Amino acid sequence: MANGPTASERFLNGILPENPVYRQLLGMCPVLAVTAAMLPALTMAAATAFVLISANGIISLIRGQLRPHLRILVFTLTIATFVTIADRFLAAYLYEMSKVLGPYVPLIIVNCLIISRCEICASKQSVRVAVADAVGMSLGFTLALTSIATVREILGSGSWLGIRVLPEAWPNWGIMVLPPGAFLVLGLLLAAVEWWGQWRAQRMDYAVAPAMRGQQAQATGEGMEEANSWKA
Amino acid sequence: MTRKTKILGYLQQAWLVLVLACAYGGALAGVQISLSPRIAENRRQETYRIIPQLVPGAEQEQTVELSISDRHGNPARVYQTRDAEGQPNGWVVPAKGPGFADDIGLLIGLDPPLNKITGMYVLDQRETPGLGDFIRDADFQRQFRGKAADTPIEAVKADPGEQQITVLSGATVSSSSVCEIVNTALANLREPLLQEWARASAGADPRDEAEAAW
Amino acid sequence: MESLTLLLQIFVGAAIINNFVLHYFVGICPFLGVSRRVDMAFGMGCAVTFVISIAALLSWTFTFYLLRPDAPLPTWLWQRLGGDPSVRIDLSVLSYIMYIFVIASSVQFVEMYVRKFAPKLHKSFGVFLPLITTNCAILFACLIILRNLQDPAQLWGPAEALTLALGGGVGFTLAICLMAGIREELELCDVPRPLRGAGITLIIAGILAMAVMGFAGVDQNLQDAIDAFLN
Repeated sequence: MANGPTASERFLNGILPENPVYRQLLGMCPVLAVTAAMLPALTMAAATAFVLISANGIISLIRGQLRPHLRILVFTLTIATFVTIADRFLAAYLYEMSKVLGPYVPLIIVNCLIISRCEICASKQSVRVAVADAVGMSLGFTLALTSIATVREILGSGSWLGIRVLPEAWPNWGIMVLPPGAFLVLGLLLAAVEWWGQWRAQRMDYAVAPAMRGQQAQATGEGMEEANSWKA
Repeated sequence: MTRKTKILGYLQQAWLVLVLACAYGGALAGVQISLSPRIAENRRQETYRIIPQLVPGAEQEQTVELSISDRHGNPARVYQTRDAEGQPNGWVVPAKGPGFADDIGLLIGLDPPLNKITGMYVLDQRETPGLGDFIRDADFQRQFRGKAADTPIEAVKADPGEQQITVLSGATVSSSSVCEIVNTALANLREPLLQEWARASAGADPRDEAEAAW
Repeated sequence: MESLTLLLQIFVGAAIINNFVLHYFVGICPFLGVSRRVDMAFGMGCAVTFVISIAALLSWTFTFYLLRPDAPLPTWLWQRLGGDPSVRIDLSVLSYIMYIFVIASSVQFVEMYVRKFAPKLHKSFGVFLPLITTNCAILFACLIILRNLQDPAQLWGPAEALTLALGGGVGFTLAICLMAGIREELELCDVPRPLRGAGITLIIAGILAMAVMGFAGVDQNLQDAIDAFLN
């Protein structure tokens, strides 16, 4: 990527076209683990956003001094420090929530999303671009977490953000707040996003000239490839 | 290459990591110093705010935390509650044990001579939502109030007797786990607590001792 | 005997009842990424089990002697330096950083070892080995060990830590191999297009998680059975 997308492009990219969860399958642990209800999902999203934005900012600031073979060490050190700070803050000011989230807050350290953003974007781009990218990715991650949590909380507890939305007669689907529900909902939502993408691509076939289609495929393909190398 | 240039070479490679490590270490120390009193207070409050519900007439502020050894010699933590005049009026015992899904954490309130259970509260649980998590309900926890503390408690499906509590069908394991945890904790701590109580009645104030030890 | 029962409970709990992947959702990335073929999945499972055991033992040692509240080493050093003995030393704020470095170095060690002594194995999953560092399952095991070293009333020893790690590793291997077996069969099925890939894998994982839920409560009955057998 010689010129790379601009800050605003990167910002928008993170939200939908390269959504970290639905398109890149990154950071799946928290997506499944804390989405039984909206409040923990939002707290988790905020904590991840804090770590992602701070880490991306710092890495981008020091990118000129990074030695290639020490860069992963620096990334890890930075991420682990910010995760510890986030964890302490939650324990001090949102104690109940930090008990609900339990080990999943420290597990942000190994969230592939953050380290892959540090590697792909922050270590190569200016602070402005890196922060814009981090904010976009955080919003995309928040969107994914809240969409899953919405489905699971409404079907599983009949409420949304703790407010009752379905009539009292609604039989709560217990399975939705249990582990299997997380897998099923995420699987179906992924399929829905995929189906929508395929439907749009099909429409593009008729509407757009073939040359442009090829260009677009290349543009998204590059980012995806880099991201894919970070999976597992 | 001399030793000096070698060290300089290392420094040239690693100075960023060292500087960052120092900066982050400082930041973490700052966070720890400024937030740890608050975190400790949160942990304390978690138990202390329940205490008045568990022992009637107990004052949060007067409660003393004691470190004792249980029947097997393992260290245990108990709370001696006091009324407004500072007279000991009961015990609160934290207990933990396996439930249906994960460990269940309880607080058990007892009268001073360990005759009766005065209250029970579920602090931590991850039982099945909609089934086992009914152990959080006040109705379930109220059943423990007034049970004798020297005979084991049983969970039954219907018609509870003297030392029995009723369970919701579909959550037998969760309720019997709670009974089991209560029984084990009481059996393990009965003797040490009675000794402690005998000492307290004889005039020794464990609070003074605790302060002296501190 | 009591401690053996506890170990058995920890093992069964980590491997089956509260399976790391299907109950706690840790290690999902390799679970989705490396579960195409059974032999690869098994290799990955073995690598994770190996790394997790080493990391658990190391992190137990560090936590017990260095990081937990009132840990012996820093307390001794503090008093040696003439610090106020009534001050409680608590370095647990450093534990996350410590763990991630313990894990990273164990992974490095395993990678070097496998490359030297089992080049064939290295070829089959060499790509994945460095990425075990970002496998949540390993950090998760360290975090559970930390949680069980904070309460002085129930202090875990190295045996418990190792058992948890082995149980977690076996549970991970079990889950990923089951998934790989199903996905091999799935190659022959006509899956709706949008579901292909991650979608159907997650739905199968949901069904597996439901199956694993059926084991809940087994540890209690196991304990009862052992008690009955001993009396």
